[in-house]
Amino acid sequence: MISLSSPVKTKAHGWPAGAKLAGLCILSILLIAITSPLIHALFFSVVLFLYLLAGRIFFVSGIKKLFILWPFILIVSLWHLYNGQTAQGITIVLRLLSAVALANLVTMTTKLSDMIDVIHRLAKPLTFIGLKTQALEISIALVIRLTPELIAKGTALSQAWRARSPKRPNWKVVIPFIVVTLDDADHSAEALRARGGIQPTHKE
Amino acid sequence: MERNLTHIALFAALIAALGLIPRIELSFGIPITAQSLGIMLAGTILGAKRGALAVLLFLLLVAIGLPFLAGGRGGLGVFAGPTVGFLLGFPIAAFIIGLIVEKTRIGPIALTATLASIIGGIVVLYIVGIAGLAVKLDKSFADSAKLMYIFIPGDIIKAIIAGIITAAIAKARPASLLSKQ
Amino acid sequence: MSAQSENNKSQLHNNISCDALTYEIDGKNILNKISLETTVNRLGVVGRNGSGKSTFVRLLTGLIAPSSGKISINGIDLHKDRKSALREVGILFQNADHQIIFPTVIEEIEFGLKQLGHTKTQANAHALATLELFKKPHWKEAYCAQLSQGQKHLLCLMSIVAMAPKIIILDEPFAGLDIPTKMQLNKYLALYEGSIIHITHDPKDIEDYDTTVWIDEGAIKSLGETKEILPDYLHHMNRLGQSDDITELSR
Repeated sequence: MISLSSPVKTKAHGWPAGAKLAGLCILSILLIAITSPLIHALFFSVVLFLYLLAGRIFFVSGIKKLFILWPFILIVSLWHLYNGQTAQGITIVLRLLSAVALANLVTMTTKLSDMIDVIHRLAKPLTFIGLKTQALEISIALVIRLTPELIAKGTALSQAWRARSPKRPNWKVVIPFIVVTLDDADHSAEALRARGGIQPTHKE
Repeated sequence: MERNLTHIALFAALIAALGLIPRIELSFGIPITAQSLGIMLAGTILGAKRGALAVLLFLLLVAIGLPFLAGGRGGLGVFAGPTVGFLLGFPIAAFIIGLIVEKTRIGPIALTATLASIIGGIVVLYIVGIAGLAVKLDKSFADSAKLMYIFIPGDIIKAIIAGIITAAIAKARPASLLSKQ
Repeated sequence: MSAQSENNKSQLHNNISCDALTYEIDGKNILNKISLETTVNRLGVVGRNGSGKSTFVRLLTGLIAPSSGKISINGIDLHKDRKSALREVGILFQNADHQIIFPTVIEEIEFGLKQLGHTKTQANAHALATLELFKKPHWKEAYCAQLSQGQKHLLCLMSIVAMAPKIIILDEPFAGLDIPTKMQLNKYLALYEGSIIHITHDPKDIEDYDTTVWIDEGAIKSLGETKEILPDYLHHMNRLGQSDDITELSR
């Protein structure tokens, strides 16, 4: 499964994921506290500069990821142009852009396996309240392993539909899709049991 | 135990797959992303606890960078964006939908599942989602709500479809309808 | 009836014991009071689709519990004692996709080893050694989803061989594979030193096995030396091929 981690390798790929996530948290809180549009403009420029440091390809793909925000930016801009509170409007738009861009930056510069390690570390203290780390570990692996298979099966079902119908598949195709999924769940449960299943205690 | 785990994991994968397979059509020829349908079905089929866990697992994988949201989006950015309230509302919606289906002992399953999906998947989800929108866009709740009105008819149709599908699954795989075990 | 072949590696002979073994779903008997006692090195299990073969192996592996009666391997109830079960039997499912749980090859092999109680480092070392044994060290980081069907089966085989159970049960794993792939997998199977129980409806797969059990309509039709059972089985199957029992719906 392809993760959204960037194929363009940066220095930040080597930094500890936990530190990057902690930094992101602090900066995101800071963003809420800042109200001056000027400081926000400065902040956003710095974020863009960070993207640029990783090169043109990285920068462009980073900017593209911000495009999904356009409807919201458009609405907020029109709203504030209409009521005249432009400074406030600029603050809201820039705060949104910086927050999303920073979070994307962490995702783009962190390997999937590093993220999963962070989750394991965060989950460990939760064993005291009954969370089974092994169950979490297996669940994550199963989803990553089986999502592409399910997409393939869903696509095959859609094609089987189109092979016998002039119309596009409608929602009815979801029914066999779910039946397939539920059966897969039973098969995986069996495979899991065949190799020992979920164990009450687990050595790391 | 294994069966619970694999159902939760497979449903998380299903929610992802529903957002990524070629779009399917509603009865009026409007293409929809079936992802929110997946959230409703997690509740109606798996029940409150397992449904909510499946959705949480799905969101966890989105957060760590898998492109599992409709259209291949994902990563931490979506949790910093204006629609974060809807993402956080997903597991709550699945839980409430599941709870209603579990606790309702009368009436046809299709109707129960549809009503549960409307209450959990539209009323509750929109309240949490719009609250998030209001915070992120710094607008009042009422003003933010106006942005969402156009999505309500489509979601009501999805709730009805969720009801019909749940009834179909109750027939095809009664043992797998964990919300009714 | 016992089956002693020329094979003198006596530790390879594992004991299977069933006593009035019955399995029912919704009042319908899938298996009906099977009793048998045998030691196996290479055991073939033949029967038609729906004869109860797959249910039989699931009981044998301890994946499901019998509705009534008893089944044990080397005296151990594998459904109750899952920990010992891992040392006794491993199973290769018909559909490799139903078996693979993890996204990458190395994780898939490591999983079973961790389940046996190996630490992370031990499991990793042992998994790498297994890949070496099968001359596939370069598969380590490969994504399971990108493997071909035959490669997925080989991965399942490696994952089980790594766990070194006394018996490997093959539940028609080669059905639907092309001839070269099947031959290659059989060659890899030879790298495993324990006992093999092979479920199939293709007599060719088990020609050189010592013992065969033929299951029909949830009961044992016959059990004995393969070279005696197979001609009988083939004759019966060919006769059924002339008939039209495909018409009948199950009750």
